[in-house]
Amino acid sequence: MSSRVSTGARPGARFAQFKLVLLGESAVGKSSLVLRFVKDQFDDYRESTIGAAFLTQTISLDDATTVKFEIWDTAGQERYKSLAPMYYRNANCAVVVYDITQASSLDKAKSWVKELQRQANENIIIALAGNKSDLVAEHPDKRAITTADAEAYAREAGLLFFETSAKTAENVRELFTAIARKLPLEQAGNRGMRANPRQGVDLRPEAPGTQGGGACNC
Amino acid sequence: MATSSIQTSPASKMNSTPGAFPSTPASAEAPSPSVVSSQLSLSQAVHQRRAEYTRSRRIKVKVGTWNVASLSGTEKDVGGWFVDGKGVSESLSGLDLKDDGEPRSNGHNGSPDIESVASQEERRSKKRSTIPKNDPGFVPGGDEIGLYVLGLQEIVDISSVAEALRPYSDPHPGRKWKQAVAESLPHGYQRVAEQQLIGLFLVIYASSEIAPTISSVSTTSVGTGLGGYMGNKGAVTARIVLGETTRMVFVNCHLTAGVEKGNLERRNWDASQILQRTKFDPVYDGGGVMEEFGEGIGDEDFAFWFGDLNYRLESMPGEDVRRLLMLHTRNEYGAHGAQQPSSKKIENELAKPESLSFSRNQEAANRPSENDTSSTHISVGNASDPSVASSITVLPSQESLDPASDPASLQTTLSSLLAHDQLHSQMRSRKAFHDGWREGIIDFLPTYKYDVGSVGMFDSSEKQRGPSWCDRILYRTRKDRLDYDQKVRDEEMARKKDNEMKLQGVVDAVTDESVLFDYDPETDGADNENNAVNEQSPDPEFMTTKAGFEDKLSLDYYKSHQRVLSSDHKPLDAVFTLDYDAVDLEMKARIHQEVARELDRAENEGRPVVTIVVDHQKETDSTHTDSSSPKFEGVDFGHVKYDHVKTRSVTIANTGRVPATVGFVDRSIESGRPGGVAPPWLKIDFDRPPDNKNSNPGALQEHTLQPGDAVNVELTLHVDDLDLVRRLGDKVETLEDVLVLRIHNGRDYFLPLRGDWLQSAFGRSIEKLVRIPEGGVRRWQHQRPDGSSHGDEGVKWSAPREVFRLTEAIEDLVERALAQWGMTGDADNAPWDKDVGWPFRGWLMEGKQRAMLKETVREGLDSDQPFSETFPPEIDSLQRLEAVAETLVQFLESLEDGIVTEALWLELEKGMLEREKARKTLSEEDERMWILDTLSNAPAHSVSFTFVTFMLARVGNEVAPWNIPLECGKAEGVPAQVAPRMKRPEVNAAYAGIFADAMIRLPAASKGKERKASETRRKHVVEVFLKATLDDGS
Ligand SMILES: Nc1nc2c(ncn2[C@@H]2O[C@H](COP(=O)(O)OP(=O)(O)O)[C@@H](O)[C@H]2O)c(=O)[nH]1
Ligand SMILES: [Mg+2]
Repeated sequence: MSSRVSTGARPGARFAQFKLVLLGESAVGKSSLVLRFVKDQFDDYRESTIGAAFLTQTISLDDATTVKFEIWDTAGQERYKSLAPMYYRNANCAVVVYDITQASSLDKAKSWVKELQRQANENIIIALAGNKSDLVAEHPDKRAITTADAEAYAREAGLLFFETSAKTAENVRELFTAIARKLPLEQAGNRGMRANPRQGVDLRPEAPGTQGGGACNC
Repeated sequence: MATSSIQTSPASKMNSTPGAFPSTPASAEAPSPSVVSSQLSLSQAVHQRRAEYTRSRRIKVKVGTWNVASLSGTEKDVGGWFVDGKGVSESLSGLDLKDDGEPRSNGHNGSPDIESVASQEERRSKKRSTIPKNDPGFVPGGDEIGLYVLGLQEIVDISSVAEALRPYSDPHPGRKWKQAVAESLPHGYQRVAEQQLIGLFLVIYASSEIAPTISSVSTTSVGTGLGGYMGNKGAVTARIVLGETTRMVFVNCHLTAGVEKGNLERRNWDASQILQRTKFDPVYDGGGVMEEFGEGIGDEDFAFWFGDLNYRLESMPGEDVRRLLMLHTRNEYGAHGAQQPSSKKIENELAKPESLSFSRNQEAANRPSENDTSSTHISVGNASDPSVASSITVLPSQESLDPASDPASLQTTLSSLLAHDQLHSQMRSRKAFHDGWREGIIDFLPTYKYDVGSVGMFDSSEKQRGPSWCDRILYRTRKDRLDYDQKVRDEEMARKKDNEMKLQGVVDAVTDESVLFDYDPETDGADNENNAVNEQSPDPEFMTTKAGFEDKLSLDYYKSHQRVLSSDHKPLDAVFTLDYDAVDLEMKARIHQEVARELDRAENEGRPVVTIVVDHQKETDSTHTDSSSPKFEGVDFGHVKYDHVKTRSVTIANTGRVPATVGFVDRSIESGRPGGVAPPWLKIDFDRPPDNKNSNPGALQEHTLQPGDAVNVELTLHVDDLDLVRRLGDKVETLEDVLVLRIHNGRDYFLPLRGDWLQSAFGRSIEKLVRIPEGGVRRWQHQRPDGSSHGDEGVKWSAPREVFRLTEAIEDLVERALAQWGMTGDADNAPWDKDVGWPFRGWLMEGKQRAMLKETVREGLDSDQPFSETFPPEIDSLQRLEAVAETLVQFLESLEDGIVTEALWLELEKGMLEREKARKTLSEEDERMWILDTLSNAPAHSVSFTFVTFMLARVGNEVAPWNIPLECGKAEGVPAQVAPRMKRPEVNAAYAGIFADAMIRLPAASKGKERKASETRRKHVVEVFLKATLDDGS
């Protein structure tokens, strides 16, 4: 694949393309999160993924930076576990999902994190998503994993962390945006990016930093 | 059916990565039209909607230039003239009248409050501004201007060698100037660019509204001075991008001075060097992506070139020009100013009669207050040479005359002088600044050279330098440059055509037309109206910028500030109105997002989609009714037996709207297991050739399906690898796997495979076989893998039941088969006559049928059913015999340890070697005893050995009794002299060969002679048992 660098003088955008993989136990809502992010939809009933769904979604971080995600939504069933390395092997970022109403799903998520940290790209950005937050909004007793516990784990393991709901869209965009912000844009040259050191006189010394804010919750 | 099979060996790993699917198939018949948005298409799509996020904007750009001659105090004046537009002399700048003769400046018409020249000159001090007091300012300034661009020359003394050779520019003077300008600018203006090269200084300020819209600022310097590189001459340059759309270049230069011809050429050279050597950083486009290449001068939309270009008036005696012009400047002093030193000087000079080459009354004619009608004619230059001579006619002014045609008017004087302007002549003759550069109409006095402190006294020093328009402001639009390029191309074409016609000799015939193409720049150039100096065109058109926007530039003012006294050059400036499309960043961000979303949607919806249908097959070949997963979504092969081929088919249909390229990709399996697109026991065949027919066999196979098209894939499962059989038997491996079907640019489909392995006695060790319970190896089917199971079972048999049953069946069947042949067969063509190794080779049945029957034999063994029940009734004894016999050989071969294990064999061979060395031989009987004795260390092996050899002797007896000669009963044609040989030894030898190989396991092969001897020993070990005359031998 030739590098996707803009040629000629046509104006475009700072543009980076990254591979993102979703991992996690079956039925925690991986596909639903992708559907929400890509199409802004939610289905109560979703066919389980057999194989790996592939989608793309572009987000703009600010007027100067566009990040395109190539999303691989993998099947969560145990049967296909051995195929997961195909998808995380070259991934730049991973979203490991658990269901906040299912205690076991966090254990599974932790094992994915461990595997990623051992086997995946050294610089992979990992985000932990505790999904189905809408369920506990109505019935707090349904919660099986406290936010504090998950947050503590995420901090310790160096992960981005969000509690999300694919159903209500809560924190879904924030999750992906936070990942995009954390990605090393300068190093994405091979995929069509170059840094933008404004030269000459800095015109906007007081310009509000759109880049710096960061939505990282952890 | 064209068949292509996918390699089941570990295929090239390069394709194992999602997203790295083999690119477009080699066969171009079905190019994949999948939408893949890239940065390029995104930015293009955004660009197409630019009308939605650009707003046309209008700003005024003021460009000023001044050679300050390194004089202190000059910085006190810069705010006054450059920012506030003051110091323009009403009468000496054509300011007083517009074309229509109406007063130009609001309220300035003869504004009485303005300080007089006399008082201005009188109070001059280096410490204070020399700008006239109460000057309201004629040139627009203050916050009317969006962009202030100031070019200064000689802010340090460049005649000083020390300065010229400095490796860096002294920043102090620059600071002084920045401070001076910043103090006079209205609040909020920001410096956006600056560049200094020794005495050259360029600084750009933008209003608070404009500054944030400026990007891609790049500044640079080019020295063309001493040695062609020093910075005492040269240019400082800035490139900015306005509103993310409009590229602007500002060149502030100081070219070589001097009136000599060489100086002129050097100026042209300086300019060409500046053009060539100026290189800017690449532009960051709308979103911040850097363009591939940096730019030079010429890539911009609007360029402004200004400074002390140093071009002079050609062929004009300086003193004449001085006098002529001072006839105009004297008027500035008025009645009260006559006592001014400057005024006196002027009057003195004008009073010198000998120096004037024109008549006396000229003086009077140039006083507008007077009304003299006499005409004056001055000759300037060498009148004897018409090519350099020119004449200036100064006529007395008449009230009714338009100043432009009024021979006594300033404008007329200027026009006649401008005809000698070197810059204009260089432009006309295309030696410099010819490629599209324009200049506004010069309606002000030459800006050089004055006595410092004087409004109108031209250089009164000894040198009395000829006044010249050294200081200029040129500009050029992108369109100007392109038009020029086009013109050059057109001329080139015309010339070529002309030459061609001349060559063809047609020129005479079409003389009239050829005139059209007859172009000679030397002679025609000056007349060519296109070649004329581009002066401000009255009505500038919109032009398309590099980025594809519509912009327009028009010049509003081009003025010198005659009443600035602090330098020997007068400053000048130009005000432009620029209409351009500026990007509204917020709107653009919104459009960008929208476009990205649309592209994503199109891309995701345009992805290829296939449907995979697994043709579920009901199990017919087994009693298996496993319903543990009735909705198993993959390919279920059902029961799988050793060496039994099973196939399943899968249909891949393109159910999407775009062609789909599909292929199985390398599965990433945990380490320790082979990768590849399929496990070793599976073969994948498509019912059509792959896209890349000709590529190497290891390459991944892709198939492109048009919408509505489908391809059938046959999956063939075959387990014949004994290692695998053992692992399956030990349950350390299962027939489960997942194929990964990748849709190029689409998703991956997982296709799980499943087979239910049926236990087999094949491939096991004698130790395990003797533990198989009654009922056969299938009894182990549902036991947990290994460990507990076999040990607990304990030894059930003295030798494997399979060996017993097979040998027994052979013994039984051989009699029946022979009897059958005797009744129905062709006596002359008995299989045992054709091959002495029969029934263990030389079979009558062909392979396929044998394979089928052997399966029944194995099934009989593994499920412990009598062969008589498992064989279909129509299979006769001879066929059964062949199947059982071959099965036995294969079974023995498959044994993990062999009937004669490696260790046993080594022991046997050792004994035989010792005897060979000692030249001892045993009787056959003793040898058999010795062999059995040696084997008896492993009783089950020993018993099995006995079963086999006993059986062989029996079979031998049947097919070749000791008394039957080999050729017995053969055709009459056999010559009598061929002595009949005994057949039995040959049969024995054949059997011994076959079974020695099947039963005896060898250490790693030895070679040559050794091997041959060893082979003989092996055969001997079997053969010696066949020689025994068995008690039932007759
Ligand atoms: N209430 C609720 N249900 C969800 C949410 N996300 C997914 N689900 C449901 O959980 C089930 C499994 O979701 P799916 O996306 O297929 O999970 P996956 O196997 O991880 O891809 C589906 O029935 C979804 O409707 C959520 O945020 N809230
Ligand atoms: Mg899913």
